[in-house]
Parts: sequence; C-alpha cells; structure tokens
Amino acid sequence: MNKNPVRQFNFRRPGIVASAVVMIAVVFAFSSCPAHTPAAGIFVYNESDPFMHEFAEQIVRQAKGRFATTLYYANNSQLIQNEQIEAERAKKSDILLVNPVDRLGAFAIIRKMKAENVPVIFFNREPLAADLALWDRTFYVGARPEQSGQLQAHMVIDLFGGNPDAPNEYDRNGDGVIQAILFKGEQGHQDAETRTTEVLRSFEKAGWKVELLGMEIANWNRDEAYSKAGSLLAAWKPALELVLSNNDDMALGVISRMRQEGWFKDSNGNGRIDQKDASWIPVVGIDGIADARESIAEGYLYGTVTNNSLQMAASIVELTEMLLGERSEQELSVPLTDGKYIWVDYQPYISR
Amino acid sequence: MKLFKKPITIGMNVFLMTFSLASVVLLLTSIVFLTVFTGIVHENIETQAKEINKQIVLNFESYINSIIETADYIQFGSVNLDAETDAATIDSLFRMNTEIKKDMVSIFLFDTAGRKIAGPTLEFATGGSVADKDWFQTALRIPEIYNFSTEQGSSVAENRSEQVITVSRSIRFKRAGREESGVLLLELNYDMITDLARKTNLGEYGHLMILDDQGRLLYTSETGEPRMTLLSAKEASSIFLGSRRVTLWNTDMFINVNTLIQTRWLIATVSNINGIRNAVKRLALIIVLIYSVSIAICATVAAVISLQVSRPVSQLKTAMLKVEEGDFSRQASVSGQTEIVSLAHSFNAMTGKIRELMARLVSQQREKRKMELQVLQNQINPHFLYNTLDSIVWLAEHDRNKDVITTVVALAHFFRIGISKGETFIPVGNEISHVRNYLTIQSIRYVNKFTYDIQVDSRLLGYRVMKLVLQPIVENAIYHGIGDEDDGKIKITGTIENGYMVFRVWNSGYGISEEKIREMYETMRGNPEKPSVGIRNVYQRLKLYYGDEAEVIITSIQDESTTVSLRIPLEPKEERDE
Repeated sequence: MNKNPVRQFNFRRPGIVASAVVMIAVVFAFSSCPAHTPAAGIFVYNESDPFMHEFAEQIVRQAKGRFATTLYYANNSQLIQNEQIEAERAKKSDILLVNPVDRLGAFAIIRKMKAENVPVIFFNREPLAADLALWDRTFYVGARPEQSGQLQAHMVIDLFGGNPDAPNEYDRNGDGVIQAILFKGEQGHQDAETRTTEVLRSFEKAGWKVELLGMEIANWNRDEAYSKAGSLLAAWKPALELVLSNNDDMALGVISRMRQEGWFKDSNGNGRIDQKDASWIPVVGIDGIADARESIAEGYLYGTVTNNSLQMAASIVELTEMLLGERSEQELSVPLTDGKYIWVDYQPYISR
Repeated sequence: MKLFKKPITIGMNVFLMTFSLASVVLLLTSIVFLTVFTGIVHENIETQAKEINKQIVLNFESYINSIIETADYIQFGSVNLDAETDAATIDSLFRMNTEIKKDMVSIFLFDTAGRKIAGPTLEFATGGSVADKDWFQTALRIPEIYNFSTEQGSSVAENRSEQVITVSRSIRFKRAGREESGVLLLELNYDMITDLARKTNLGEYGHLMILDDQGRLLYTSETGEPRMTLLSAKEASSIFLGSRRVTLWNTDMFINVNTLIQTRWLIATVSNINGIRNAVKRLALIIVLIYSVSIAICATVAAVISLQVSRPVSQLKTAMLKVEEGDFSRQASVSGQTEIVSLAHSFNAMTGKIRELMARLVSQQREKRKMELQVLQNQINPHFLYNTLDSIVWLAEHDRNKDVITTVVALAHFFRIGISKGETFIPVGNEISHVRNYLTIQSIRYVNKFTYDIQVDSRLLGYRVMKLVLQPIVENAIYHGIGDEDDGKIKITGTIENGYMVFRVWNSGYGISEEKIREMYETMRGNPEKPSVGIRNVYQRLKLYYGDEAEVIITSIQDESTTVSLRIPLEPKEERDE
C-alpha cells in the first residue's frame, strides 16, 4: 500500500529539479538585468595630456546623475582606442563620446556605429567633414582651431599698444617689427598647423610685422619644449620680443628655460614678476590649463587662450542627453551649427 | 508510463534514484565543464588572434609613421627655403630622403596646376597629366591629411616602373618670396606591404587584407585561394572595426579589423581558429568517455547498493510468506543492512514465540483429548458389568454351573482385553475376541434369543484399532435391534476397503425408520439428552481421535435388518505414539 507514495515521490523528482533550475535561472536573469540607466563610453586619446585629462574628468563630473559613464584613455594609440571601443560595445552602451587618437580613425568608428545605430559625439579632434557627413547621428563638439590663433595674436597686439605703426615699449628695439620664436605642437598636426598659420596670419591681417626668428616642434610637451628652447634662446636672446606657443604646456617649458637664462625678475619686490622690467617679454600659450593660470597669476606667462572645457563638457553632456531623448535641441546652451557641430568659443585669459 | 504502472520494488527505486541523481549531476558537470572550457579556449585563441592583429597593425603603423615623419621632415625642412632661389637645396633634400629609405621611390612637389616644382624627372607619358590624377585632386580637396592611394599604379618618375603607393598632401611653400599652395607627393614601393605582411603566421588559409575607404581590396596575403579572400573581404568590410567569428569554407576563422593610422584604410587579419573546434571535439569525446565510464560505475554501485538494501528485505519477505502459509518452523536467515537484520531477528523471535505457543496448545489439546477418551472408555464398564453379574447370578440360581464358568471365563477375558494394560489401541484380533467374549456372555444370558456369526479379513488382524469400538455397537444390536423376538441373527464382518478398515454389525429385526436414524445421528453428534449411550460413545471417541476420516453409518431395511458400519482409517502396523 505504501508503495504508492514512494513512486509518486520518485516520479516528481525531475519536476523538482527542473523547477529549481528555472528558479535559479530567473533569479540570475533578474539580478543581472537591473533597470536600464543610459550609459556612455568616454574615449580620450591620452591620459598624460593634462588638458584632456581635466576635460575628461569634467565630462564625468557633469554627467553624474544623468547617465553612467566609463572613461578610457588610449595611451595615444588608435589601436588601443579601437579595442576599448569594442570592449565598451560589448557592454551595450547607448552612446560613444570619442576624442580620437587619429582623426582618420573616426571614419571606421562612424561606419561601425552607424551599422549598430549607436550615436557618436566626437570632441576635441575634429574628424573630416566628409566622414562626419556619413551619418546624421554623429556630432562634433570643440573649438574652432583658427579662433585660438586669432585670439592669441590679438592678445599680443593689445599688449603692444594696438597701433601697428607705433608699437609701444614692448617693441624693445623699437624697429616696429616683433621678433618672435614659435613652438609648434606637431608637424602636420591639424591643430598645430592651424594655430601656427592663424596666429601669423592674424598679425599680418592687422598690419603687424612679425619676424619669426625660429620655430621648434616640441610635440605639445613641456619637457621637450624646455630642452628645445635652449639653443633658440641662446641664439636670439638680445633680439627676442615674443614667444608664441601652440599650447600652454610647451609655453611653461619655455618659461622654465627662460628663468634659468635670466628672464623674469621681480624688480619692484611686490612678490610678482614685473612686466615693466626691461628683461620681460611676453610668452603666450593656448588651452588655459591650471598650471598656466597659476603661472599667469605669478606673472611669468603673459596670457593664454582658454579652451573652454567647462562649456565643452557641458555641451557634450547636453548633446548626449538630447540623443538619449531627455533634452530638446532648443535646450542646448550652445546651439548646433549645421546640425552637427557645437562650436565653443575660445576665451583670452591674460594677467592683469 | 507502463513502467510506473507496475509497483516498483525498493531495490528498483533505490537504483533509479541513485542512478538518475548521479547521472544528472554528471551530465550537468560535463555540460558546465565543456561550456566553460570552450569559452576559455575561444577567449584565449581570440585574444591571441587579436594580439597578432595588433602586432601586425603596429608594424604597419610604425612604418606609416616613419613615412609621415619623413614627409613632415621634408615639409618642415623646406619651410624657410624658396623654391626658386633654393631649388638645388630642396632637390638634394628630396633626393637624400629617397636614397635613405629604400622603399621610397620618389618625392615630388607640384604647384596647384600640377607643374613640377621639385623632384626627379617625370615619366614622359604621365608627366603632363598629374593634375588629373586622383591623388592630386584628393590632396587639394582634403588638404588637412595625407592621402594614401594605390590608384597611380606605377611610378610617375622616369625609369621607375615599380608599383607604388602614393602619399599626397597639399602644402604651402615659398616661391620667389611669396607663399603658394602646392602638392607634395611621396611614392612608396608597393612591396613594402608584402614585406610587412610576410612575417605573419595566421594559420592555414589565414591571411591579411588591406581595404581602402570604399571597402575595396588593396592587398591580400592569400595567394592560393582567391575565393577565400572574396568571402573574408566581404565579411571584413561589414565589420568596419572589431572582431567576428565566422566560418568560411568550413573553416573557423576569426576576423579582426582595425584602422590603419593616418589613412582611412582598414587592415584585417583572418586567423584560422579551426584548432578550437578540434580541441573542443577532442575534449567532448573525452568527456563522453568519462561520462560513460562514470555512468557505468555509478550504475554498478547503484545496483550493489539497491541489492544490499533489497536482498535482506526480499529474504525477509520470503520468510514471512512461509509463515503466512502456516510454516513456523523456518528461521529467516537475513544478511546485509543492519536495520533489516535486526528486523529479521525480531521476526524470528516472534515466530519462535508463536511456534512455542502453538506447541504448548497442541500438547494441551492432546492431554485434554486423552483425558476425555479415558473418561468415555470408563463409561462403558459399569453398564455391562452390572448386566453380566446379574446374568451370572441368574445362572447360579438355576444351577447352571457350566454356564457360570463359561461366562466368568469370558468375562475375565473380556475385561483383560478391555483393560489391555491401559492401552487405548489394540490389535484388531484382540478387539474381535473381545466382541466374541461379549457375545458368549450375552448368548448364555439370552438363551436362544439370537445367533451370531463373525467374519473378519485375516489381513486386518495385524492392524491396531481403538479398543472397545465394536462391543457397544453389538450391544446396541442385541438390545435394540433384535428386541423381544427370538431367533435373531447378528453378523459381524471386517474388511479392508479403499484404505479403510470397515466393520459392519448386521442384525435382523424390525429395522428402524428414517426418522429414528436421523435421531440417532443427532444423538451421536452430541445431543446428550438422548439415551443410547453406547453408539454415541463410540462415535465421539472415533471422531475425537481419527477426526473426519472415521465415520459411523447406520442403514436399515424396514422389517428386515439394520446395519451399523464403522469406517476407520488404516493405520500403520507399527506402534503409533500412545
């Protein structure tokens, strides 16, 4: 008689096992799939670029509470960046924010993301217009490179009195021509080329004569600028009236060398470098990094052009929100140009 | 389902449970192991393939970077040079760089109209049409980058027929003190791709491809099978960037697509990862082997366990069935599981107790029966003794001394046999002579009242029979059968019929009615109210000892005769117990 319950027990056993398995699977499925918060991958070309480092941190800070972010630095290798993008795509992020290592690398990224229908916002290194035009869900947030050179030139023109025919005392030898040396970021680099061309062209346009005594390529790097400044400074010390740099970091490197060579003195003893001192000449950079602002406050660096990374980060976050459908185009603090670009203005930043 | 309709034994159950549990665990383990292993192998091989791809791309990158560096160097070196006044310096700069780099075929500078500013002598055929070239147009259209192209085919320089890759870019240069736009052209030997690609080992049919920005195949290292490249190029150009596992021509391939720095080209490596399939296949085989062996072991163990559990149980069951059939003599001998052995011990103790109780009961019953028998035997004597003594007195009164002697001798015999040293069973011969003595006594008492005749099968004489069974019947025949009539006849026969001894006491007379016979049966079977003590006594004693096999049958023919038959089982001639 009691064989029956035993048989039923045996009979049910597979059912118990199966339902246990199903339950475990369900629990796992739910635990691994929480409510979806939008996620963005941020890809920056190099961590050791202080400006980009600050910029990326700014984006992360401003995105907090709006969407999740994962930050990648590519160590200046498009190869690594490609890998990072693939890894991030495996996580099914909703949007990519890319500061490409190689502007042409954007071509493949755009085509891939178009195929996967994931929007991309490029920033701070502009892809080719033709590549951006491949898809209406690719954008660029950045500053117009030519503007930085123009502002840099005008900053100097203001210092020299504004009248090309009668420059003030900063034209140390009084020959009506500004003797200058220039530190270029990279040969062939779009920004370096543009900044270099634009700063010189702006002087010319305003009627100012600038004699370029020498040019060095220091790869945007402070140390490299420091070492490469040595020979230039030695060769042109008495005649030199202006140092132009494609970025702040190189400008600071040059300043270090100049201090060693006897430039910059606090002649009135107010704890600040005296611009009126006969040995003082202006050094101007671009970017407005923290070290540069400090140097300006101390009186070494005359001025810089601030790449308004705060505003750029804000625009990137806003644009991301727009693409996620949480913000309308009208709510962007800097409007879209041609439906693709957000141009954030550079701002001059000089010592007072 | 039919299997489950049958009742399942404990052994079967234990076997099924153990077996299914073990096989489920084993199966799950195997599946998980295989899955994890496959995953790891895939991951490893893919990582390896990616690393190879990366290395290849790095090789290309460093080469391209060196070209770009050269181009930048040339550009930067000529920034302060004037194309008109320093033409010789520029030419030597170009020549020097061409000579240093063995794969640099030529370096040219053209103005925007396609006229040569610096560089070696142009090939006559192509020299005039530089401005129409694709690389020239592209350089002007997209001035901010170096344009890599393979469309030029062979070099534009004179006496250089090698296949080239053109690197063009629009630059600014000085001529006669004025800044102008122009196009810088570097021609690279096409073989450099082959050289860079040669070092790679991507397995059988594995190959390296370079695709241009339109997805066109610029280069493939696969020389044997063009159709393979056709398939892989199609896959690669749909991947754009990243990796994918595909099967091309029944071969597992891992395609890895990367960008090529400074160009819009894609570089794709196609690695043969068929090894994974083989490794997994081999592992699956091993796992199946392990699985089957384990299942076999598991089945054996399950069977042994189930036997260990079920054997003692079924042994116990057999013993119980025997008891159910009434055989208490069997001891259940059970070995195996302790619990069941102790159960068997308890069971044995129980049957032992029952057996003991039953034995006691049987012996008690037997004692009781013996006592009843004795009591019944003793009932006869007083009647007869009284009657006989009465007739001896009568004979003595009439001086029939001879008859007195005969009677007394017969009586003595009669009693000696009747007592038979207290035995209950006596030889048939003794029982017959007992009856004869009785008849002798009675025939003296009732002179001429009846005659008698005794015929007994001599074979019967050796058997034993319960003593004093015939005499009461005969007594009955004399007193009730013959009645007051003279010349009565009594006939006693003893025969063997179908394994029974049958004694018939026949007497002449009126006979008895059916109703009377029924009454007699009733009396025999225990109605103590009725008289006829003798026949009831015989009946009950026979039943008491022989059971249903013994029978007393009364038949009668009205006005003629009555027969009382005793059917008694033949017992062995040997002495039975008691």
